Amino acid sequence: MRVPVGVKVGVFSVAVMASYSWFANSIPQIESRPPQELSLEGGNVTPAQLIKAGEEIYRTKGTCEICHQIGQKGTRAPDLAGVGARAAKAKPGMSAKAYLLESLIQPSAHVVEGFPPIMPAVDKPPIALNRSEVWALTAFLQSLGGTVDVALNDIPASVGATAGATGAPAEVRLPGDPKAGKTVYMTKGGCLACHKAGDIPGTPVGPDLSQLARIQTPDYIMKKILDPKGAGTVAGFPPGVMPPTFGQTLTAREFTDLVAFLLTLK
Amino acid sequence: MSRGKPVGRSAPLAAGLLLAAAAVALLGLPAEAQEAAREPAYRAFPWIGSRLAVWAVAQLHLNFAAFILGVPIFAVIIEIIGWRTRDARYDWLAHEFVKLTFAAFSTTALLGALLLFLFVGYYPKFWTYMTSIFFPTYWIYALLFFAETFTVYLWYYGWDWLQGSRKWIHVGLGVLSNLFGTAILFVANSWVTFMISPAGIDESGALKGGVWAAITNFTWMPINIHRLIANIVFGGTIAGAYAAFRFLAAKTDEERARYDWMGYVGNFVALSAFIVLPFAGYWLGREIYAFNQTMGITMMGGFMSWLWIIQAILIGILFLGSNYYLWLGMERIPGAERYRKYVPPMLIILTIGFMVWATPRSMVITLDEARAMGGTHHPLLGFLGVMSAKNTVVNLMILTTFLSYILYRRANRVSTRPWVRTGMAVQWAAFGAAAVIVVFYGVYGYFVESIVRIGFSVYQVLAVLAAIVVVMAIDVPLFKGARSTGEIRWGTIAPRSQYVLILLAVTFTWLMGLMGFARSGIRQHWHVYGVLRDTSPEAVTPALGYAANVITVVTLVFFALVMFIFWLGGLGEKGKEAGAHGHAAPVLAGGSDQDA
Repeated sequence: MRVPVGVKVGVFSVAVMASYSWFANSIPQIESRPPQELSLEGGNVTPAQLIKAGEEIYRTKGTCEICHQIGQKGTRAPDLAGVGARAAKAKPGMSAKAYLLESLIQPSAHVVEGFPPIMPAVDKPPIALNRSEVWALTAFLQSLGGTVDVALNDIPASVGATAGATGAPAEVRLPGDPKAGKTVYMTKGGCLACHKAGDIPGTPVGPDLSQLARIQTPDYIMKKILDPKGAGTVAGFPPGVMPPTFGQTLTAREFTDLVAFLLTLK
Repeated sequence: MSRGKPVGRSAPLAAGLLLAAAAVALLGLPAEAQEAAREPAYRAFPWIGSRLAVWAVAQLHLNFAAFILGVPIFAVIIEIIGWRTRDARYDWLAHEFVKLTFAAFSTTALLGALLLFLFVGYYPKFWTYMTSIFFPTYWIYALLFFAETFTVYLWYYGWDWLQGSRKWIHVGLGVLSNLFGTAILFVANSWVTFMISPAGIDESGALKGGVWAAITNFTWMPINIHRLIANIVFGGTIAGAYAAFRFLAAKTDEERARYDWMGYVGNFVALSAFIVLPFAGYWLGREIYAFNQTMGITMMGGFMSWLWIIQAILIGILFLGSNYYLWLGMERIPGAERYRKYVPPMLIILTIGFMVWATPRSMVITLDEARAMGGTHHPLLGFLGVMSAKNTVVNLMILTTFLSYILYRRANRVSTRPWVRTGMAVQWAAFGAAAVIVVFYGVYGYFVESIVRIGFSVYQVLAVLAAIVVVMAIDVPLFKGARSTGEIRWGTIAPRSQYVLILLAVTFTWLMGLMGFARSGIRQHWHVYGVLRDTSPEAVTPALGYAANVITVVTLVFFALVMFIFWLGGLGEKGKEAGAHGHAAPVLAGGSDQDA
């Protein structure tokens, strides 16, 4: 039987593409995940924990390893082995921690001779480290041959102010209790009267909240509860139905619990 | 010459109207901006997720858009050749190419509208932000699309009407439709490139001055040029694959000869543009580094580093395939036997170049193996995995491919010029000098800093381009009025050569998908790099295996759609004598002593 040309060409094309796919699947599979936010503000942290957190940032979110190495000279950026000790002598009259901080947030202020001025400010997008992360990273760099004495108060409050740019960080940890929030949702809040949420049934007066955390930001959810009119009405639903009184009727704890619960709806 | 009912008359009009409706909807967006800001940041697309939906539709749209923008560029050039040489074959061929474009035109518009709806519906916050920056360009885009649609209409439907003394008007329409098409490409590229390398905005992401600063960002012009050239390559390979399919399915020698010739022209177009494509790629890469070193280094040395190995393999296959097709083509040219001896050395250079280019810098090995080897870099192969070696071999591969073309070009010609020896000596000297310069800077690159080494690639590129210009400048007068050693036996090429054409089309389409993933992936978890963060659950940039699977599936869908559209386009010709529908199809079998 004569095989039609279309079949032959089709099989040939599929075989070619399948071989490309096969090869791409046979090499190292590396995903690029969005970095997590680290917050140490107001928390107790030991120097050892701080250095460990800083090392993690050095290797991941900080993307430092792309150019810097420890114990090996690179062509793009200086070797960081012993930088904790060297930093104290880098600029006359400047302490080690002040020099390291300056290098991180104003890298062009002092460029080590022989290297191009290519380092970006780590507290600005796209790296966008926050204040806690800059603190931890400075501590890690100090630990490379020096003494760790940097404190959170040494990091200017302005550091990381634009870290999230116009987009919110991927995850925000709220102090609320999702379990208690679920109770608020079903009882005092009365949310189920108008919304469905996962396995909690509800009348479809308002939008289904089953995947709320997948599609909305925490700040929008908080604002929507406190000021439903100001946050706008989702297209396709009647405006002005959601009570504007939750800011008065819910306690602060109930509010945060409720938000924490809503953020579990993915 | 009469022309029957043209194909797809109503579909492009419907697509144009749909696009107009989409444009009107877009123009209303700013008025809704406040409301839109209160919409969810994301919505979840059922089953496959929003990202995959946008990815698939965007890649399909880009494939079709590249085809309908690329083909008319060389179609009008072919038409001009036919017009000036009064050779009807070229006019027929140009019309055939535009017919393919025309059939795909409406699908491109429909996919564009679908992509827009996906953005508005599933990424409303992102789209609102883009609108806040680029709203004025939406008007321009819509107007250009109208202009492009109607100009292509006139060009296609006026083919018979604007013949003879009015041919210049017809050619002018072809040129104009290309200008509109290129302008559309440039506008759309401003949106895409802004996402990679935003400019003209303040720290909060708001536009500082006019939109022009946002348009003329770092990567805009390099991507404009890169895409323009790549579209020509893509159009050439798809047209070549179409011709190959028709060749394989042909029932007569005449038909086989015609599509052999069409495939040759498609491959010639693709190859001519493909040779300069890597240079545009270098420029784009350099601008990415200039915009943001971190992005550049992440792209080349970070999680994406292995992507370039796959790219090297694909480009190596394209080089080898194109050359192999030329060598097979020489078998149907009397007199080409003289040049067979050059094939083995050229094959060796291409193969070695392929192997070096595909050599990874870091090996995938176990910890024990790494310890035994003294690191992740192989003591010998590690030297071949760096840019110095890769730039060198790619330039040598380009030179070799150009040599293949030159040999093909003169396969059945013997120059009668008295200065033939001198001319050829200068040509070989130009080849040799370029090769020496390329190798010299390749070796020297190992002994200098990276910033100096990057500059060397410019010298290597210039040497190759200079050689191409010098050789062609001599070759054209050298073989003008040359003695023929026999006519090209169109249609007698080995059938496997047609599978090479199909291989080239499939590989280049797949490569486009891969490069689309690279362009989008270097933004990582940012919709707009450093400005608008991707906070959706799908912000992860997937690994290469997943990306390759998506690219394969989308490419399959693309080719299925293309075959369906071409089949639809050919329905109008069913039952009619070949050549009765439009310009007379040329009779080529053994009837030409020209190469193109």
